[in-house]
Amino acid sequence: MLSTGNDIVSLNAINVTRTKQPNFYSKILTPTETALHQEPYFATIPFEFFVWLLWSIKESVFKYLQRINPEIIFTPVKFEVTQLQIPASFKIQAFNIKELTGIGFDNIETIKSIIPFGDYVLYSNSLIYNEFISTVVNGAEDFSHTHWGVKQIDSSEVAIQSAEVRAFLIANLKDNSNISIGKNLPGIPIILKDNIRLPIPVSLSHHQEFVAYSFQLPV
Amino acid sequence: MTRQEILNELKKVISPYTTNKEMLAQINEDTDLLKDLKINSANLVDIIIDAEAKYDIEIDYDEADKMMNVGSCIDVISEKIGQKQ
Repeated sequence: MLSTGNDIVSLNAINVTRTKQPNFYSKILTPTETALHQEPYFATIPFEFFVWLLWSIKESVFKYLQRINPEIIFTPVKFEVTQLQIPASFKIQAFNIKELTGIGFDNIETIKSIIPFGDYVLYSNSLIYNEFISTVVNGAEDFSHTHWGVKQIDSSEVAIQSAEVRAFLIANLKDNSNISIGKNLPGIPIILKDNIRLPIPVSLSHHQEFVAYSFQLPV
Repeated sequence: MTRQEILNELKKVISPYTTNKEMLAQINEDTDLLKDLKINSANLVDIIIDAEAKYDIEIDYDEADKMMNVGSCIDVISEKIGQKQ
């Protein structure tokens, strides 16, 4: 079954002191994942960013799997990242533009991970800027049919975030006439054209002043 | 503590993480933290940590995943308070 999952964390909204406390991060990271941060190539990633990177991956995995099994419950420590790859030259920079979209991640530096869960092996690509962490999860290592976008908006009101992320997604669909975004019964977003559901899995997220989407086209 | 007393205290724990104050004023055991109170999932761990501090209890991973609506939060907190006594 085709699926996709994404998440965005606004780094302006995190509580740095709390994130570094063991009683907080131990509810997100397993001891094995916590140890990954000690690897030398993660020296450029502050620990609080690392915690929220892993959160973002796990939330995206949950959204990917929830489409397949709506009964699944989000428990961060039950989704364990077993491999995490960071480019040798990786440097966190400022997000100096208002929005960023792409198809796949071949032309952009990302942190990649692998997350086995039950019968599934899932793959992720995460963008980290000073302002946010955004992740997209796919069921294959090939993201060439995965469309994604991140946008900075002017409001952190939930209703406005929700409207903005839908408008952003629709603006980036190839054929977007008579398109609307609905939700199925478990509350997972769906794309409708002329009120008929399209077979394109979509994932939406928002946090504070950032919104993001991903959708997966068939190969 | 009765379930109603825990619910009243839980409202104060949840309050900083929701802008939907109208819904917060009306919460009951069926209220869903994410869907009804529009709490961002990134704040769920904050709520668990604040509940731990408020009731001097420790909520482990397996219990935390049940805390998706107010009733199940009260179940977990009530059980943990009972274990302390």
